[in-house]
Amino acid sequence: MSHAAPLAVVNYSEDWWIQILKAIVIFLVVLQIVPLVLLVERKLLGRFQSRYGPNRVGKFGLLQPLADVLKLLSKEQATPNTAVPWMMAIAPVISIFTATATLAIIPFGDVGSWGDHFGLYGIDVSIGILYAFAFGALAFYGLMLGGWASGSKYSFLGSMRSAAQLISYEIALGLSLLGVVIQAGSLSLTEIVDAQRDYWFVISQFVGFLIFTVAGFAETNRPPFDLPEAETELVSGYNTEFGGMRFGSFFMAEYINMIVISGIAATMFLGGWHGPGPAALDPLWMLLKIAGFLVFFIWVRATLPRLRYDQLMSFGWKVLLPLATLNVLVTAIVVVVS
Amino acid sequence: MVLRDIVFFLAAIGALAGALGVVMLRNPFYSVLSLVGHLLSLAILFLLLSSEFLAAAQLVVYAGAVMVLYVFVVAYIGGADEPLGPAVPAVGAFGPLVAAALCGELFFAFIGSGLEALDSRGAHVSPGFGSPGQIGSLLLRNFLIPFEAASFLLLVAAVGALVLARRRRGIDDEEGGARVDTIGHARAHGSEPAPAEPVAPGVER
Repeated sequence: MSHAAPLAVVNYSEDWWIQILKAIVIFLVVLQIVPLVLLVERKLLGRFQSRYGPNRVGKFGLLQPLADVLKLLSKEQATPNTAVPWMMAIAPVISIFTATATLAIIPFGDVGSWGDHFGLYGIDVSIGILYAFAFGALAFYGLMLGGWASGSKYSFLGSMRSAAQLISYEIALGLSLLGVVIQAGSLSLTEIVDAQRDYWFVISQFVGFLIFTVAGFAETNRPPFDLPEAETELVSGYNTEFGGMRFGSFFMAEYINMIVISGIAATMFLGGWHGPGPAALDPLWMLLKIAGFLVFFIWVRATLPRLRYDQLMSFGWKVLLPLATLNVLVTAIVVVVS
Repeated sequence: MVLRDIVFFLAAIGALAGALGVVMLRNPFYSVLSLVGHLLSLAILFLLLSSEFLAAAQLVVYAGAVMVLYVFVVAYIGGADEPLGPAVPAVGAFGPLVAAALCGELFFAFIGSGLEALDSRGAHVSPGFGSPGQIGSLLLRNFLIPFEAASFLLLVAAVGALVLARRRRGIDDEEGGARVDTIGHARAHGSEPAPAEPVAPGVER
């Protein structure tokens, strides 16, 4: 399959049933990864803190995520008197939706990896990475509506805090990827992976990679940027009034976001599906890279303490954003000159 | 294709309902949300026209940045119990007249402009029309000066807004720029420093 043809055209030639099948497979696979990440996180956190972690439910604690989910499902969903019930119901849905939608563009293999008639990705849109930002921009409404609809001051202030964090770091996140886009000369994620055939962009775009990693941690509300749910000091946040599976949905959205950020990092900086071995192994390399990045997420959580809110803001606006802008500028100059 | 028509009508109904909701809902927060719904529907309509870039820009810029600020402001200061302002009878009488005039003017403008898309065959566009690459080269080659002028204007406006806000709220430099966060905005009303509020121990003001 030549890459001169517009990739959108290639995708449109796929049968409709293949597209539906791919959507289902992607959704199911990622849905299975979420409890796995939960378990690995708790196990690893235990090890990092010199304890065992969950080891009672099932062999090696393998059934722990199942127990957690059952617990959440059977819990009562309390709604405060001051709340707006219908909005409390749709806020987690928005969060889950925006998190899952981005999965569609992460490529796990090229056209031809597993068959000549379809690529191992949901869709290959012409706007590429902008698709991820479009849904990332909407993720704000899940948190915001959740906090506002709860009708509680703590939830409201918490959602304002998270929303301010989200929009502050979104800019740095976008600018950090712009360097890669300039270097690859394409927005399409498959073409960006293709451009990394000789070497990974983490080498030439190391600054961009660092900025992306930091901003990605902030975007997913992960430690050390987990101000939105700093249970120990800030009465959690937008999700304070949520119980049962609605809380579980917010929680799941966070983990899916982690997977998405890891997937984008693997695609944009770590060579995507490229790896030794036959082309049929491509998705395996991609999954391994995502898994590696997820472990890195957890490792950082166990290592770094939480930032103070003003530190978070000044770091995002005064350090990360200028650095990202400079990175784009330097990349553009280098690309034009060479 | 049937699916295309269904999506079009759903998005069109969404866009109209959102636009109506903005002006008809009494709660400003719901008004803003229905504006968001309107913008989302517009993005879907752009997608139906195969201009993915415009749809994404619509989401990133309008739904993701402009409306976010609206939501911030309304959530902080726009209570549901506050009326939007005293009803002036003259406005009520005059409003429909102005709306009708604007409607007529727009109709004339659209039909008079000779837009090809108004034809039953639709506009003729070259392949790749509206792709990110084409929009980029249009902005940076053909319309470089207006593009730069507009961005410079926005920059000046942003700096101006910052200067005005700082002077009015009396946030001096001793407090540090980082203190000017969203919560600080709600707190600092006049030039006086906010009254002592319970601050978590260990957090310096």
